[in-house]
Amino acid sequence: MKTKLTWKLWILIIALILSLLAIFGMPPSFAQKGVKISSIDQNSSLYNQGMRQEQILTSINGQNIPDLESYTIFISEKFPLNQSEKIIFTTHEGEYIIFTNQTPELIVEAIPKTRIKLGLDLSGGSRALVKAENKTLSGKEIADLISVTSNRLNEFGLTDLKVLPVSDLSGEHFMLIEIAGTTPKDLKKLISEQGKFEAKIGDDVVFIGGDKDIASVGRDAQNARIEGCNPAEQGYVCRFSFAITLSADSAKRHAELTNNLSINATAQGNYLSKKLDLYLDEKLVDSLFISEDLQGRVTTQISISGSGSGANQEEAYESAKEEMKKLQTILITGSLPFKLEIVKLDTISPILGDDFMNSILFAGLAALLVVAIIIFIRYRSIKPSAALLITVISEVVIILGIASLIDWNIDLPSIAGILATIGTGIDQQIIILDESREKAIMSLKQKLKRAFSIILGAYFTAVVALIPLLWAGAGLLKGFAITTIIGISAGVLITRPAFADMVKQFEGKNAS
Amino acid sequence: MIRLSKLHDKSYKWLLLIPLALLIFSFIYLGVFYSNNGDFMKKDISLTGGTSVTVYWQTDIIDLENKLVNQLEDLNIREISDLRTREQKAIIVETTTDSETTKEVLESYFGFELVEGENSNFEFTGSILSTSFYKQLLIAILIAFLFMAIVIFIIFRNLIPSIAVIISAFADILMTLVLINILGIKVSTAGIVAFLMLIGYSVDTDILLTTRVLKRKEGSLNERIFRSFKTGTTMTLTSLLAMLIAFLVVKSFSAVLAQIFIVLVIGLAFDLLNTWITNVSILKWYMKSRGKE
Repeated sequence: MKTKLTWKLWILIIALILSLLAIFGMPPSFAQKGVKISSIDQNSSLYNQGMRQEQILTSINGQNIPDLESYTIFISEKFPLNQSEKIIFTTHEGEYIIFTNQTPELIVEAIPKTRIKLGLDLSGGSRALVKAENKTLSGKEIADLISVTSNRLNEFGLTDLKVLPVSDLSGEHFMLIEIAGTTPKDLKKLISEQGKFEAKIGDDVVFIGGDKDIASVGRDAQNARIEGCNPAEQGYVCRFSFAITLSADSAKRHAELTNNLSINATAQGNYLSKKLDLYLDEKLVDSLFISEDLQGRVTTQISISGSGSGANQEEAYESAKEEMKKLQTILITGSLPFKLEIVKLDTISPILGDDFMNSILFAGLAALLVVAIIIFIRYRSIKPSAALLITVISEVVIILGIASLIDWNIDLPSIAGILATIGTGIDQQIIILDESREKAIMSLKQKLKRAFSIILGAYFTAVVALIPLLWAGAGLLKGFAITTIIGISAGVLITRPAFADMVKQFEGKNAS
Repeated sequence: MIRLSKLHDKSYKWLLLIPLALLIFSFIYLGVFYSNNGDFMKKDISLTGGTSVTVYWQTDIIDLENKLVNQLEDLNIREISDLRTREQKAIIVETTTDSETTKEVLESYFGFELVEGENSNFEFTGSILSTSFYKQLLIAILIAFLFMAIVIFIIFRNLIPSIAVIISAFADILMTLVLINILGIKVSTAGIVAFLMLIGYSVDTDILLTTRVLKRKEGSLNERIFRSFKTGTTMTLTSLLAMLIAFLVVKSFSAVLAQIFIVLVIGLAFDLLNTWITNVSILKWYMKSRGKE
C-alpha cells in the first residue's frame, strides 16, 4: 500500500496553505519592500491628501525606500531644508505631493514579517478600563462616552488606538481603551478627566467646550503659539495662547454680559472691570483681561491663554505645549457627561517582548520534544510520533492563520489557549492511536469512528466550559477562550480526521 | 496480569478509601482555611486590586525589599531573569498601594524617573474591579462545571457513571486548590483560568474510561479498564511532562504562564489518582452490581 493523499489529508493541506497565506499575506510580507506608516499627524497635508496609517511607503522623490534604514538615512540627509521643496511620497495607494522644508510628520516602521498581531501585553502599549463614577451606564451612554473619548484621543494626536464598549457577567458596562506603542504622557488625565470647560464672566457662563458654542479652534502656527517664557519662583513658566471662533449664540452672550461692566484704566491699557475666567473641571486655569473695545460687541474671535511650568525653560516650554494641546482638544470635543473612574490601567513597555516570545517558543518546542519521545517509547515506532508532531504543528499554524484573518491580537491569555489546544490535541491523538489498535473484530474504519465518539464528547465538554469566560472579567481573558475554541474546533474538524487517515495508512500496513 | 486483575477485584472498594480520606482532609483543610482567611484561596493583586510595577533595571532585590517593606503595603518582589544566562533583566514589585504612591516610592529608591511604558511597566487594578473579577471568575468556573456536568449526562445518559465522572473532576479541582494553598501560592486571574482548563483536561480521561467500559462489549470488564488505563495514563503523563517542562522554562520569565502550568501539573497529577482510583472504583462497583462483567 502506498501513501495516499485522501480527501481528509487534502483538506488539511488546503487549510494549512490558507493559514500560511493569512499569516504572511500575498505577496508574502517578508518579501515586500518599503516601510509601513505607523502614525500620521491628522492635521498634516499628507493626511488631507489621503495618506493613512498602515499604508506602505515605497519611494520618496523617485528614490526607492526598501527598508527602515534607508528611510531614516533619506530623511536625516534631506531635512531640514532652507526653503520649501516639492516632495513626492509614493505608497501602494498612490502619490502624495507636499511642499515643505520641515521633516514630514510621519512615523514609519519596518513592514512586519507576519500579519500576526500581538496583544499589548506582549508588544507594548497601554490599556485602560474606565467606568462612570457611582453610576451604571446604559448602552447609549457608553456609546456617547466612546465617541467623545475617541474623538478626544484622536484630536490629541493618538491614532493607533481602539476604544470599545465591554460588559461583564454582572451587567456592568465599561469602556476599554487600548493604545499601541508609546504611552502618551498624562494618559490618565486625558481619559479620566471629565474635561468640563467653562468661560465665565463673574458667575455667568459665556461659553463652554464643544461645537455648540465654539465654531473653530486655531491650531496652526499663526493661531496658536507659545508666547514667552519667564523665570518663576520655582523654575520657569511659559505662556501659550490660541485663537478660537465662537458660535453666533455664544458671541451674543458675550456681548450681553460685557455690556454693563465698568472700565478700569491700567498702565497697560483700559480693561473691563471683570475678567473672563477659564475653568477646567471647576478649577481656574486662567483669567483674561477683556479689553475695552470688546465691550458689548458681538465678537466671534477670542483668544484663550494659559501657562505651563517646569524646572527649566525647556520643560516649561514642553509643558505649555502639552497644556495648550489638551485645552484645544477639550474645546473641540466638549466635556463628558459624567465623572469617570479608571478601574484598570496597564502600561507595558515593549522592551522584553522579543525575549518573551523566544522563551515561549523554546518552552513549546521543549514540551513538544518530550511528547514526541514519550510517544516513540510507547509505540516503538517513529511514524506515530512524526504524525503527531505534524498534526500539532498544523494546529498551531491554523490557529495563527485564523487569528490573523479575524485580526485577533495574540495576548498572553491567547498563548495559554494555544497551549491548552496543543495539550488536548495530543490527548485526542493518543485516543485515536490506541483505538485503532483495539483488538475488537471490526474494521479500522469502525474503530476510528468509535475514537471520534470519545473525542466529540471531550470536545463538547471543553467548549461549554469555555463559554462563560467570553464575558467574565470584562472580557480581558477572552483571548484564552477564543483561541482554545478556534484550536479545538479546527482540531475536531480538520486535523483529527487527517491524523486518523495518517494512522489508517501506517496501521493498515501493519495489519496487512 | 490475571493476578493483578484478581487483586483489583478484591481491593477496588478499599482503594476508594484513599481518595475519600483525601477528600475529607481537603474539606476540613479548606473549612479551616476559610475561617482563618475569609476566603478559599490566597489571592494576588490581580484579584485583590493593587499595583504591579516592572522596572527594567538590575538591583539587589533583598535590599529593595528591606527598604520598601515599610512604605508599600503587602509588598511582594520578584525578578525576571534570562533563561540561559540567568542574568537579571527586570524587577517586579507588587503591592496593594495605589500606583501614584508606588511610583514615588520606587523613584526615590532608584533615583531616576520611571517613564511608564518605556523603562517600566505599570499595571494598576482598582480593588472594586478586582473583587468583581474574582466573583465573576468563580461564577465562570461554576457555570463551566455545570455545563460540563450536563454534557456528561447527555453523553452517557446513565446516572451513576456520570456522577462518577463529575465527582472525579470535582475532586481534581478541590485537591489541587488545597495543595496550592498548602504551598502558599497566591492565585492570580491566570491561576483561575488554569482551574477552568483543568475541568476540560480532567474529564478527557474519564470520558475515555466510561465510554470504553459502558459502551463497549469486547473483552472483560477488567480488560477494558486496563486498556483504558494504558491509553489514559499515556495521555495524562504526556500532558503532565509537557506542562512540567513548560513550567520550568517560563518560571523565570512569566509569572502568569508559570502559574497556569503549575496548577495544571498539580491538577493532572491528582487526575491520575481520581480517574484510575476514584472513577474506576465507582464504575466497577456499578458494573458489578448490575452483573455486567
